[in-house]
Amino acid sequence: MSLSGWQLIWIIITEVCAIIGIRISPAIAASNQDAWLSILIGGVFGTVLTLLVVHLSMLHPNQTLTQFSRGMLGNWLGRMITLPYLIAWCLFCAGLLREFSGFLQPILIDRTPLWIMMLLILSLMIFLTYSSGMKGIGRFCEIIGPLIIFVLIVSFILNVSNADWHNLLPVYVDSGWISIIKGSVGPAFWFPGPFTLLVLIAFMKNPQQAISKSMIGLGITVSMVLVATLMVLMVFGPNFASKIRFTYFMYVRTIDILNFIQNVDIFFMFIWLFGVTAQLSLYLFIASYEMAQWFNVKNWRRMIWFIAPVIFILAILIPNETAFTFYDSFWMNVIFPVCGIGIPFLLWIVSIAKRNESNKKIDNNCRKG
Amino acid sequence: MIKVSKLCLVVLLTVWITTGCWNLKEPDQLAFSLGAGLDLLEDGQLQLSSQIVIPSGMGGQEGSIGKKNKTFRVVSATGRNVYDAVPNIQLQLPRSLFIGQRRIILIGQRLAEHGIDDLFDEFIRNPQSEMRSRIYVVKDADAKDILAATPIFESYSSTELVDKQEAIGLKSYYFRNFLSDALRPSLQPILPALSLSASKQTVYSGSAIFNKNDGLKLIGFLNTQEAAYANWITGRQKRLVVTSFVKRGQGTVSLKLHTLDRRIRVKIVNHEIKIEVRLKGKGTLVENNSNLNPTKENDLRIIQVELSRITQKSVQQLIEKVQKQYKTDIFGFGESVHRHYPSQWKALKKNWYATFPGLDVKVKVELQCSDPGEANSSIKIIP
Repeated sequence: MSLSGWQLIWIIITEVCAIIGIRISPAIAASNQDAWLSILIGGVFGTVLTLLVVHLSMLHPNQTLTQFSRGMLGNWLGRMITLPYLIAWCLFCAGLLREFSGFLQPILIDRTPLWIMMLLILSLMIFLTYSSGMKGIGRFCEIIGPLIIFVLIVSFILNVSNADWHNLLPVYVDSGWISIIKGSVGPAFWFPGPFTLLVLIAFMKNPQQAISKSMIGLGITVSMVLVATLMVLMVFGPNFASKIRFTYFMYVRTIDILNFIQNVDIFFMFIWLFGVTAQLSLYLFIASYEMAQWFNVKNWRRMIWFIAPVIFILAILIPNETAFTFYDSFWMNVIFPVCGIGIPFLLWIVSIAKRNESNKKIDNNCRKG
Repeated sequence: MIKVSKLCLVVLLTVWITTGCWNLKEPDQLAFSLGAGLDLLEDGQLQLSSQIVIPSGMGGQEGSIGKKNKTFRVVSATGRNVYDAVPNIQLQLPRSLFIGQRRIILIGQRLAEHGIDDLFDEFIRNPQSEMRSRIYVVKDADAKDILAATPIFESYSSTELVDKQEAIGLKSYYFRNFLSDALRPSLQPILPALSLSASKQTVYSGSAIFNKNDGLKLIGFLNTQEAAYANWITGRQKRLVVTSFVKRGQGTVSLKLHTLDRRIRVKIVNHEIKIEVRLKGKGTLVENNSNLNPTKENDLRIIQVELSRITQKSVQQLIEKVQKQYKTDIFGFGESVHRHYPSQWKALKKNWYATFPGLDVKVKVELQCSDPGEANSSIKIIP
């Protein structure tokens, strides 16, 4: 198909924007100076979940989620099972769109209505997705992925002088395993990039590379989030950091080298906007593509005109920032257990069972022959 | 298909055209606030003073005849909390106030004595806020007076106060560092203090001690010497000059320390906490009025031992004074116990306030003179 191994890696890496932007503060709130341990453990769990999803996809080469679940479970059951994913993708897109605009608006353009910002980002998403689909998103990520990593590393280096490693002490004893695990649940779910791999793998040129490439992508993502968490903790100290909503952004604001390199947050926000737009486009594409499979529509592009307004309306319906508390707990308690673990695991067992059955049939046929 | 791609192009064009122009504000429409001063007025009202930049006063040719234009003005207003005063300041300004460059936060002594625990939310929460502000307490004066003081080199007293920390040998201590310290349960924050001299110049005058257990109230000051030792123990001092009378050489000796190191060791033996503070300093001998010759090994050793002994005594006295007089753990001994004995700390934490004054603290100072300077024996004119 159309996705090279490197493109898959970079697509996975761009999700670092959403995770670093939003997921560090909750981890610090849960486990204080041991938040980096939470991220690390979350990374391990995330790897397991990713492996499950990738392996499931590889059992059905060149088939996306809707295609193979319909093929395996029959038309109607297959459709039923993929419906939660369609909802989740739209919700994710709407949530990220709303949260990112809500983050940018008061800082950059406080007199611009929120919906205009969201409409502008949405237009970009539609343009990217409509004009070139998966190919375009893959290439876009190939360009901005390295840029994001570069910018992250620069932000780490520039703030070394502000960091104090004493802020990480004492390790473990203050929080204990329960808090650390609690803090790791969020990152563990977000690291696999909510369910996109179930569709993405089908687009790969060499699907047999899927495991190695997705592991490289995930590894880079986890290590970036890990270093970001460590740096945030070392610059702010755990007690202060847990009170800030967008810790990494505030962290960038503290950069001040010789009274010369300062106020660099604007540059970071630009790069960030690229990354978030790439992610949003990816979800728009996946939701549209899977929707088309769902309805047996040949031209998936027509689905954009349905999905995009839905995302926009959902985003507008999110009334204020407090709604995100509910939004987050809905993801944690409903969407992730169902779509992240339950259904993939079920599908995986069924796939394995079916494969063994067919293998046996082939064996039998051979013997008969 | 072609129709739709045309539509896409139109959508993209609107994106290009409409990106955020009406939100633009030119710098000449803004009143930049470089410093904020907080005071408690006699009648109990909170006063916010803002140092406003006057850009037209900034340029101008050097040597031009006539009086130099004023480069800033200080505007004050009262409010129920910090931001409540901002609209009141705005009333006095023809341009809209911009606080994204607020480099200095000053707190007047009266306000500090009243307690400042509920004062700092705005400085972080406000999306326009600045993360690189520094903070000072003003001793025996109002914050407003310091803001209004005439700067020596620069155009604004605020930027001078930013550079001052580095000039007096302190590590940069940002407002956010103060918040981080104040929010940490096992530490009592101290802040650098400023005062006004008789000639209306701002003078660094040591550290202000706060008590977190009582609404973050100012409870006393350390003089510059004591503050330097306290900052050495907490790792916030970069450079320091030690001068003392060396008995065996019958004269004073000054050592300019350029590397300062500190180590706090904690031991818990039979439920008794023992703390050992080790301070190490290395530097150049810059003045020697004694009979000793620092290029000779024996004499050098005498100087080093004597300087170390006297400094050690002063540090020990400082710690005892803080333990007895202020009873607040400004040295972060609690934090050291927390790091070394995290599980015991859970029980110690609650009573640390009562434990600290009776703490067994040993001080060990080791000063090293790595360079005797450009002379051998003292250049003292003896008849």
